[in-house]
Amino acid sequence: MPALHAEGVTAGYGRAPIINDISLTAELGTVTTIIGPNGAGKSTFAKTLVGILRPMSGRIAVNEFDITRVAGHQIPRHGLVYVPQNDNVFKRLSVRENLEIGGFVSKGDPAARIAELFEIFPDLAKAHGKKAGFLSGGQQNLLAIARALMAKPSVIILDEPTAGLSPAYTSVVWDQIARIAQLDTAIVVVEQNVERALKHSDFVHIFVAGRDHVNGKANEIAALDLAAIFLGRSSASPVV
Amino acid sequence: MTYYVFTLVFFLFDYFILAMGLNIQYGAAGILNFAYIGFVAIGAYFTGVASLPANTLGQQYILGLGLPFPLNTLIGGLAAMLLSVAVALITLRRLRTDYLAIVLISMSLVLYDFCNNFVSMFNGADGLYNVPEPFAKTLGLSVNSFIPFFACVAGVVALIMWFVMSRVTRAPLGRTFRAVRDDHVVAAALGKDVFRMQLKSMMIGSFYAGIGGGLLIQFGGSFNPTAWLPGETFVVFAVLIVGGAGNNIGMFVGALLVETLLIHLPAFLPEIPGHPGLIEYFDLAVVGIVLMLMLWFRPQGMVPESVRRAASFGASERPDGEADDLELGTPAAPARVAFESGDPQ
Repeated sequence: MPALHAEGVTAGYGRAPIINDISLTAELGTVTTIIGPNGAGKSTFAKTLVGILRPMSGRIAVNEFDITRVAGHQIPRHGLVYVPQNDNVFKRLSVRENLEIGGFVSKGDPAARIAELFEIFPDLAKAHGKKAGFLSGGQQNLLAIARALMAKPSVIILDEPTAGLSPAYTSVVWDQIARIAQLDTAIVVVEQNVERALKHSDFVHIFVAGRDHVNGKANEIAALDLAAIFLGRSSASPVV
Repeated sequence: MTYYVFTLVFFLFDYFILAMGLNIQYGAAGILNFAYIGFVAIGAYFTGVASLPANTLGQQYILGLGLPFPLNTLIGGLAAMLLSVAVALITLRRLRTDYLAIVLISMSLVLYDFCNNFVSMFNGADGLYNVPEPFAKTLGLSVNSFIPFFACVAGVVALIMWFVMSRVTRAPLGRTFRAVRDDHVVAAALGKDVFRMQLKSMMIGSFYAGIGGGLLIQFGGSFNPTAWLPGETFVVFAVLIVGGAGNNIGMFVGALLVETLLIHLPAFLPEIPGHPGLIEYFDLAVVGIVLMLMLWFRPQGMVPESVRRAASFGASERPDGEADDLELGTPAAPARVAFESGDPQ
């Protein structure tokens, strides 16, 4: 049973579709990454998955439960949590308060869950009483990911979690993503950095001009002529 | 002298209540309610018509229940809260930030014109007067002794309302308000119903506005449209900004500095020879200047919002061993958290 299954999703702003007929499946314990040039519709697709945008057509299911018409704020209850690209923490709340907010839909003990997450993210434990706005960009992204984990979701959608980060901290974030996936979670990442996406992902989708141009296992995608694909040329042939 | 001092004390407590109401809306939930004075007015009017008897010579109004304090004041608070539900249903679902503020200030003007011209509701431009003074007959209070007495009553009410508001802001509900304020998209992505949260904040804040208005009409015995010109909202905003948005103690400090010292105290200062009333005309100008200076030099206010750790997190679990409350800096404050792994940024 796939944790996330999107089929034939078309969505956009107003009447004009930005993404067309996109399908994606994510299994528990895997990292699926969506890459593509600017304006390809990666973030639009992520926003559609989490209910910020309503799909014009298609179907989205989490653990086989249809969430296509579920209100955005109800979707986390069904096991899908979204981490936006920028400004993704509550800057004037403490690290701990941010985590507590994330536990809103969780039935378990929030304090126990926070203790578990502090073991995964020891840096956050040290800063638990600090205002989130005082953290650096990378630390804020880790806090946003940790907060998403508070709800013990089946699926986490990360919209460019390494945007604007230094190379060193980008590695820290990707390492954590891989570690979280091993905790029986399906992770869908929207990413600009092709090299890192291919290195850390199990499956990759390449969006071009609002369409899922190519998809497959990361090692298979790595063998393709990605420059040609990014430039919109239909090429699924390996680089010679 | 007693009259002057206790009048100032009354306005201190009353504006403390009003500022706490605006604080839960703007300081906590981020709703820029430029119609706030309208909710104060509805609270005052409904307290008035709940206090006045069914028929009073020369006045036209609805209800006329002749209820005693505090029932009349509670009706004022509930009326303001009900109005906030109607306003929220119209505005909060689709509007945010500046658009919401523009619509709210427009609604305030509509409400003002309605109350001013629909005479049979609250006696139109003449407003309500001869509103009974609470306990004055029972305790045999004179005009002079009523003022200190009611200032103390307002103090007790303010204390109770501060206690309740402190509990609300420290509870998960208050934390959720602040999350919605900081980023409503992220809050919704984490399972929060943003509209419902903002509606709750509007209702609580408007109830406080209504209670504050109710005390106001009973203190003065009258209330008419000149008392709540839409610009009066900005005096409450000045109290909030000077005191420190997001902090209830800051609201007391703001009420003391702005409402008591800058707005009402000048009315009791000696006149400038040859220029009667000149000092009073300058009060709003001084408030405006103070507001600009605060926004420029100390935007977090005199008593900034604090970060509160959860009570469940014991001292032994705190690796840094710091105090419970940390002062928040300005949004531009630099990162100062040292991380073990070291963030190269």
